[in-house]
Amino acid sequence: MMTEPINPAAETTGGFVPSVAFESISKRFGGVQALDDVSFGIAPGECHALVGENGAGKSTLGKVLAGIHRPDGGTLRVGGRVMVFRSPRDAACAGIGMVHQELAFCPDLSVAENLRLGRYPRRMRCLLDRRAMEEQARQLLGELGVDLDVRQTMRHLSTGQEQLVQTAAAVGTGARILVFDEPTSSLSQAESESLFELMGRLRQSGVTMIYVSHRMPEVLRLSDRISVLRDGRYAGTLTRAEATENKIVQMMVGRAIAHYRPAPPASAPGPVRMRVKGLSSPGKFENVSFEIRAGEIVGMAGLVGAGRSEVAQAVFGLDSRAQGEVEVDGHLLRGGSAGEAMRNGIGLVPEDRKRQGLVLSMSCRRNFSLVILDRLSRWGLLNHRQEAREAESLLARLSVKAPSIETPVASLSGGNQQKVVMAKWLARQLKVLMVDEPTRGVDVGAKAALHELIDELARQGLAILLISSELPEVLSLSSRILVMRDGRIAGEVSRAGADQELLMRLMAGVGSAPSRNEGARA
Amino acid sequence: MQDRSIKAMDGKPLLTGRRFEWLRIPEGGLLVVIVLIGTLLTFAADPITVRGQVVNNFFRLDNLIPNVATPMSWMAIMAVGVTIVIVGGGIDISVGSIFGLAALGSAAVLQTIPEQASPLVVLPIALGVPILIGVLCGLINGLLVVGLRMHPFIVTLGTLSIFRGLALISVPTKSLPSGDATLPLAFTENFMSWQVVLPQGGATSIMLQPVPLVVMVLCVVAGWVFLNHTISGREVYALGGNEEAARFSGLPVGWIKVRVYVLSGMAAGIAGMVSTGYFGSANTATGEGYELTVIAAAVVGGASLTGGRGTALGAMLGALIIKLIENGIYILKKIDLGFAVIPLSKEYTKIIIGIAIIVAVAVDRLSEYLRGRKAARKTLSRTQGQGETKEGRPE
Repeated sequence: MMTEPINPAAETTGGFVPSVAFESISKRFGGVQALDDVSFGIAPGECHALVGENGAGKSTLGKVLAGIHRPDGGTLRVGGRVMVFRSPRDAACAGIGMVHQELAFCPDLSVAENLRLGRYPRRMRCLLDRRAMEEQARQLLGELGVDLDVRQTMRHLSTGQEQLVQTAAAVGTGARILVFDEPTSSLSQAESESLFELMGRLRQSGVTMIYVSHRMPEVLRLSDRISVLRDGRYAGTLTRAEATENKIVQMMVGRAIAHYRPAPPASAPGPVRMRVKGLSSPGKFENVSFEIRAGEIVGMAGLVGAGRSEVAQAVFGLDSRAQGEVEVDGHLLRGGSAGEAMRNGIGLVPEDRKRQGLVLSMSCRRNFSLVILDRLSRWGLLNHRQEAREAESLLARLSVKAPSIETPVASLSGGNQQKVVMAKWLARQLKVLMVDEPTRGVDVGAKAALHELIDELARQGLAILLISSELPEVLSLSSRILVMRDGRIAGEVSRAGADQELLMRLMAGVGSAPSRNEGARA
Repeated sequence: MQDRSIKAMDGKPLLTGRRFEWLRIPEGGLLVVIVLIGTLLTFAADPITVRGQVVNNFFRLDNLIPNVATPMSWMAIMAVGVTIVIVGGGIDISVGSIFGLAALGSAAVLQTIPEQASPLVVLPIALGVPILIGVLCGLINGLLVVGLRMHPFIVTLGTLSIFRGLALISVPTKSLPSGDATLPLAFTENFMSWQVVLPQGGATSIMLQPVPLVVMVLCVVAGWVFLNHTISGREVYALGGNEEAARFSGLPVGWIKVRVYVLSGMAAGIAGMVSTGYFGSANTATGEGYELTVIAAAVVGGASLTGGRGTALGAMLGALIIKLIENGIYILKKIDLGFAVIPLSKEYTKIIIGIAIIVAVAVDRLSEYLRGRKAARKTLSRTQGQGETKEGRPE
């Protein structure tokens, strides 16, 4: 950074001083180069989308700007001045705020208390002036057009409401530059809409927004310009006029993407492997019935909160309040015990691999063997050699990239972690495998491998339930698709008759709801 | 699926035994600390004259065995049990009370047996009663934790008080054996406090009582086998590492938890048995406050209070470190730095042990962090070489 032949940031903003300029920003986490020599600028008052595959470094770049991560190299300029942020507080002082994906608040404090956190109005120097605090909070939310009771406890808000509060809190501290980190990833359609409305109002008041996302329709709809990151490197910036979904995806992947390969027609499915009849769990889902044949992949689509994962968990015996019948190969399960489900040949690759799928403090080998401990032992004593042998051969078969089977799973990438979770179930003799969001947060290569694996397992005669929020994934892999809405099965679509729009409509429960694929600006 | 095996990553099979790998066991750091403390004390201790011979006040068997190893043995036995609970993500602070209850219980039963009774009669009772008491207490803890879904700290805080209260109520004499009664010799002098005479050239000889130490070693080995070589042990690590993932892997989470508290209670029972046999008596204050030393030993030994980490050997070494420090303070009486003399009295013990606990854990976390960074660098250098092309991604 001693010599600076051209100012790349000034170049990309068309001459005027950019609001934010990244100059050769680099950041490394342990073994991963998250950002590598990233340079570009963000114009004042624009909504600038930051897109890229999972792991491309877009969130990291946002966090560098918000002072959460310190870059290893490069300079960050805000309003033309070089900034070194040591903490999010420093960034806040420079007028930069961040809206996080997950809870960034004290859940047991009220909305007002969280909004004014650290800047409470006082009475007599040390007493909290509750009335003034609530008044200020109400005023702030009012200005932003957010309708919420400020006395409500944060814990009771939905994720969407919480993000509105986060945004308000950032604006309330005087932020003129806001970073949104995948805000809609766990929001419903309606919640996303109210967030977009709020962003629209912020844009009018001249706030610069950086919108980190991988959802193309939203990106195309909201942003003035779109910057693409690929494997931690800057891949270019497009204006909205020149951007198309295809172009962005090509830049993200670095090549024209071969879309999900349409699976060749599955061989005629065999006899019914698993039958679920009238399965209900109070407050979660009701009267769910379906059957899966041997060799069949049945997709399950639905919006977040529709109860898909809950159904899978109940089938697996993890929901003690579930009522209904689950049959495997004609054998009726008593229910309420995961051990019983496993003995009957059911496997579940859970939704959240870090929270439910893996014990992060353990090695690949130990995670792998968790569900086959009974098979690996004699008189309660483990056979370490056999464990290592099996772990090695299965992890190798799934081409898990790890220095050794003793490597802690925590240090693997998302895709490889997911492969470990898959591998552990493959070690059992399964009849039914339920995979819940198998490719969430997984890179393109691992994704293709996982799809191939699921397909191969079906060919071997397993009955597979594929739960996924990625419609193309569901559409390309499954022979039938169940759509869940509000805890019920809203419809079943055959592979031939399904397309994304039809599924979206069933999922949202609207006759002619616009599909999310429409890139039109509101 | 082509055969892109992980073996190919570094060009050699993964299972080749790396030589001297065993030296890098997690307890390596503890061993170094123990050797350091030992060396330090040996040099700092004054030579004294015992039975006509000049010997080092610290580094001599008749200091190390009776003053370090024996009192450490019941601590270490309990620490192994508590470590199992901590590895499983729980905590058991009632072990001191269980220890006391087991010690009193066995004394109460044994004092009714004639002093000269045959070992065949005495030993089954002497071993069985305290272990049974420990198991029962542990079972109560486990069932309460699982059944009421309460935090184990609260549950065992309650039972800590209840078990101690039971001891106080049932032993009005405050101490057992009461009156003229004594415990059967087959359990005390001929077993737990059995003496070995080491001739030391001529008339002098050293009397040692090695049995508590042997029991401790057996318990540590049993704990090691349990944690490293049984299904149940592996399940405990999984439970402590991530309870949710353990559930999603179909592990019987509730039973694993109950089992863990039962084992901890059993260890406290065994420890109580050793203490009763060694001293030939027990009283209502026996084991009071032990829970803190025991948890300290487990933590110094590398058990992580967040669960998922800890070893039986570590628990023993942790107990050893604490006892070494106690003994060192007792022996040195003062530290002569040359320019200043720091007087040491027994009262300093708690402060120094407190500091030692914090330093030990801080150092442990630091080395864990450094090891993590090293592992990450290793992963990087290996994946950078071939990783990208393996995925079939164009550069």
